Amino acid sequence: MTDIQNIKHKTFLFDATRCIDCRACMIACSVENNIPMDKTRIWVAGVGLMGEYPNLGRASMVYHCMHCEEPDCLSACPVGAYSKREDGPVLYNKNVCIGCRYCMNACPFGVPHFDYNRGLIDGAFIDKCTMCPQRIDVGLAPACVATCPTDALMFGERDDLLQAAHARIAAHPDRYINHVYGETENGGTSYLILSHVPFDQLGLPNLSSTPVKNVSETVMGITIPFALSWAAVLTGVTIGVHQFNKRKEQIAAEEARAKSEETK
Amino acid sequence: MKMQVTINPRLRFHLSPLVWILLALMGIAFVVAMIRYIYGIGAISNLSYSYPWGFWISFDLFTGVAIGSGAFVMAAIVYIFELKEFQPLLRPSVLTGFLGYIMVVIALLVDLGHPERIWYMMIHMNDTSVLLEIGICVMSYLTVLAIEFSPVFFEGIKRKKVAHFIHKFIMPFVILGVVLSTLHQSSLGSLLLIQPAKLYPLWWTPILPVLFFISAIAIGLAMIIFESAVSSRYFHRGLEIHLLEKLAGAIPIVLAIYLIVRFTELTVSNDLQYLFNMDRNHVLMTTLFWAEILLGSIIPLIFFSFKKIRQSPNGILGSAIILLFGMILDRFDVSWFAVRHPDPLTYIPSLMQFNAHYIPSLPELSISVGIFSFGILAFGLAAKYLPLFEDEDGQHAASD
Repeated sequence: MTDIQNIKHKTFLFDATRCIDCRACMIACSVENNIPMDKTRIWVAGVGLMGEYPNLGRASMVYHCMHCEEPDCLSACPVGAYSKREDGPVLYNKNVCIGCRYCMNACPFGVPHFDYNRGLIDGAFIDKCTMCPQRIDVGLAPACVATCPTDALMFGERDDLLQAAHARIAAHPDRYINHVYGETENGGTSYLILSHVPFDQLGLPNLSSTPVKNVSETVMGITIPFALSWAAVLTGVTIGVHQFNKRKEQIAAEEARAKSEETK
Repeated sequence: MKMQVTINPRLRFHLSPLVWILLALMGIAFVVAMIRYIYGIGAISNLSYSYPWGFWISFDLFTGVAIGSGAFVMAAIVYIFELKEFQPLLRPSVLTGFLGYIMVVIALLVDLGHPERIWYMMIHMNDTSVLLEIGICVMSYLTVLAIEFSPVFFEGIKRKKVAHFIHKFIMPFVILGVVLSTLHQSSLGSLLLIQPAKLYPLWWTPILPVLFFISAIAIGLAMIIFESAVSSRYFHRGLEIHLLEKLAGAIPIVLAIYLIVRFTELTVSNDLQYLFNMDRNHVLMTTLFWAEILLGSIIPLIFFSFKKIRQSPNGILGSAIILLFGMILDRFDVSWFAVRHPDPLTYIPSLMQFNAHYIPSLPELSISVGIFSFGILAFGLAAKYLPLFEDEDGQHAASD
C-alpha cells in the first residue's frame, strides 16, 4: 500500500457489519481535533434493536462529513468559506464565515453544525469533519480510522476501496446489501458505506447520482445574462412607451389645433 | 378631508397608546437581541442542527421581501408604463418596500452568526451561491429604494430643489430597481433549489424562482390595496377606490398565470400523485398545499374577478387579506413547513416523517415582533411628517 500522504484520492470505507458501536472514533476525533466535551464531529447513528427473538440484531453507523466529490456546501456558501482539496478533504475556513448557516441547509446529509451557544465575543462557527489534514499530510490515517478496533473504518485510495467493497459484497452476498453507498450518491463521495440493513435505516438520505446543487448552479449561471437582457428589455419598453405617449400627445395637440383653425 | 393629509406635527403622536406599545415591543426585542449577542443564538431561539433556519428566515426574510414587492410593481406601473394615474399609490408602496427591506436587514443582523461580517459578501464572492445573489441584490436594492424615496424626504424638509434634482435622474434607478427586484424575488425561490432531497415534491421544482416571481407580483398588488385601505382608515383619508379597483383587476390575470404554471409543472414533473395523498405521513403536506392554493390563488382569483367586490372597500380589503395570507403561507411552506432535514445526531426513523421538532421560542418571536413594530412606527412617523400621500391632482408630486 502507498504511503497515506501520496494517496491521490483519499477515501473512507465504512462497513456497518463490523461496527460494534464502541464510539472510540468519537473520542479519538475529539482528542485529536481538540473538540470540547459537549461537541462532536462524529455521530454514531443507529436503528437500535431489530428483528424478533431469537433473531435479534442491531446496526449502527459512524456518521461524519461525506467529503463529496462535488460538495453542495461549497456551492452554497456565499463567501466561499469552503474548499475542496484535490486529494479529497472538504475544508471550512472560519475566518470568512458569516454564520448564515446556508451550508447546513444545502448539505443533504445534514453534516455542518453551527455552534448556537456562543455569542459575538467567543465567535460562533460551523464545525465539521476535516479528514484530519494534520495527520494525512504526514502519513497518518485520520484519528477515527486509526483507532477503530474492528476495522469497520478503513482509509485509502478510492478506487482500491471501491474494489475491496465490491469484493466483500461478492464474497458474502447474503450478508450485504448489494450497493456501495457513496459510489454514485450525490455525484460520489469520499466516504463509502457497506451495510447489512437498508441505508435509510442508518439515517442516510436517498439521493440520485446528480449532486443536489446542479439545478441551483444552472440557475445561477444564467442569472447575469438574464439580468442584462431584462434590463435591456425594460429600457426598451420605457423608451417605447414614452415615445408612444409623446406621439399620441402630439397628434392630439395637432388635431386640436386643426380643429381650432377650422372653426376660425 | 384632504387638508388633514398635510401633516400637522402637533398631533401629539407620542402620546398615543399604540406608540407606547410599539416602543415597548421594540425595547423587548432589543434586550433579547443583546442576550443573543452575548450568549449566542441558542440562548434565545429553538434553532437546531436540523433546523438551522426557522421563524426569522420564514417571516422576516421570505415574508418581508415578498410584501416589499409592492414597491417595484408600483414603480414599474408608474414610471415604466407611464400610467401616471396611479401616482398617488406610488409613495406609500415605495416606503413600505424601503422599510420592509430595512426590517429584513435588521432581522439578518440578529440571525447571522457573524453580523459584523455581513459586508464580507462584497469581498469574498462565491458566484455559485444563491444566497450571495440575494445578499448583493438586497443591499443594492435598499440603496435604490432610498434614492427613490429621497425626494419625499427632501420635500418634507422643504428642499424642493434637491427633490426635483433627484427626480430628474430617477429613471435609471427605477429600471435598476425592477431588475434587482426580479432577481432577488425569484432567487428567494432559488434558495431552495439546492434542497431537492429535503423539500417536499409538491413545492420543489426547478421553476421555483419563476413561481416566486409571479406570486411576488400578486403579493405586491395585494399589498398596495391592503396598505391603502388600512391607512385610509387609520389616517382618515379618502380611499382611491377607483384606482385600487383598476389595480385589483390585474390580480386574477396574474393568479391565473401562476396557477397554470404551477399545475403544468406538477403534471410535467409527475408529482400529481401527491395532490390527494391522504396517507398518515403525507396528509399534513397535502392540507398545507391546498390551503395555500385555495387562499393564495383560487379564492382571490374568484373574488377579484367580480367588479362589485373590487368596488366595495370591505370586499377589496378582505380579498387582499385572503391573498396575502395564502401567499405568506406559501413562503412559510417552502422555507419551513415542507422542509425535512435529516438529523444524524438525533436520528429516529419514525420522526423523519414529521417536522414536529422545531417550534419557535417566545424570545425568537419577540425579535420579529419588535422589528415589525419598528416598521409600523416608522411608517406612522413618515405618514405624519412627510408628504407621503399625494393628492390625486399631484399637488405634492415632485414631477415637473
